[in-house]
Amino acid sequence: MTEGAAPAPRVRVWDVPVRLCHWLIVLFVAASWWTAETKRMDWHRYSGYALLALAVFRVYWGFFGSSTARFAEFVRGPRTVVGYLRGRWAAIPGHNPLGALSVLALLGLLITQIALGLFAVDVDGIESGPLSTYVSFDTGRAAADWHDTLFDALLWLIGLHVAAVLFYLLYKKENLVATMVHGMRAFPEGQAASVRTASWVRLVVGVVLAGLLTWLITRG
Amino acid sequence: MPAKLFRSVSALVFTASLFATIQVVSAATPAELQKLRHDHYKELGDAFKSVRDASKAAEPDFAALEKAAEIVNKASVDQQRWFPKGTGPEAGKTRALPEVWSKPDEFTAAQKMFAERAPKLLAAAKTKDVAAISAAFKDVGGACKNCHDTFRAPED
Repeated sequence: MTEGAAPAPRVRVWDVPVRLCHWLIVLFVAASWWTAETKRMDWHRYSGYALLALAVFRVYWGFFGSSTARFAEFVRGPRTVVGYLRGRWAAIPGHNPLGALSVLALLGLLITQIALGLFAVDVDGIESGPLSTYVSFDTGRAAADWHDTLFDALLWLIGLHVAAVLFYLLYKKENLVATMVHGMRAFPEGQAASVRTASWVRLVVGVVLAGLLTWLITRG
Repeated sequence: MPAKLFRSVSALVFTASLFATIQVVSAATPAELQKLRHDHYKELGDAFKSVRDASKAAEPDFAALEKAAEIVNKASVDQQRWFPKGTGPEAGKTRALPEVWSKPDEFTAAQKMFAERAPKLLAAAKTKDVAAISAAFKDVGGACKNCHDTFRAPED
């Protein structure tokens, strides 16, 4: 952005809740991975609870949040995705049609992982998720096995996500990581409007809802 | 039938049945013994979960809890017979490490820790005191972990 005399105007793409939510998910997925590998199951549970709250909030924000966070605004049909891949797409702030599928896959798998963890039981019947009391030992073990298997799938998806970001950085010379940090992205003039943010009331409702739902689910 | 013949026939039948019995007892191959051991520990895990679930419930089912604690207690005695020689990794897929057989004194001590703590869990279950049950449960869990850390391979 320093080379041109008239740099392209920057527009705000991501609001604060989306960015905070994104990086907290990164933090707690890493924490969940580490605590599982090192068998710190108390902390693994807390880390999972944090992800549960974040997932609830993100889904809520996908319906009632800022414009670029809403599923209805960025999830598009297969024809549009194919069209995008063939170059028929005018860039607008937010996810592109292909990236939308990535968001859905990542969020969907994350929610599945959290749900499985809630019911999981370890091989000795000592450590378990808060909802495991509602299922048999065998079902809890099956949940734990899937929890283990799907984590690999989640890592592959994260790898794909990071690869796409690197593709943008190295090939298209665009730093999407920075955009996810400060929320701003350069757009040629006149082409894009900034994100329409949601009200404070909606944010507060979302945070309270996420907290309350997480509390209700994890108290068992 | 002359008595002598009767005795011979009896001896034959007795010998045959003796061999048949030996056949049945020794029919358990190391792989079968490993499977049995695996099933025993699965049952133990199941019982352990039942104790945990009951102790966490708003209105604990103390009858179920005591029954599960009895299974745990029985297993703590029986497990001392679940590791016959020749049922280690050399005989097939098992998470039992060779140390079970190469460090018999330490292994016996680890098993003993479980056998000493499990009765306390059963006793606590009978008192219907949830705090005491939870504490005893934690103690038994510690005995499980103590042994697993040294004598069980990590999950793959």
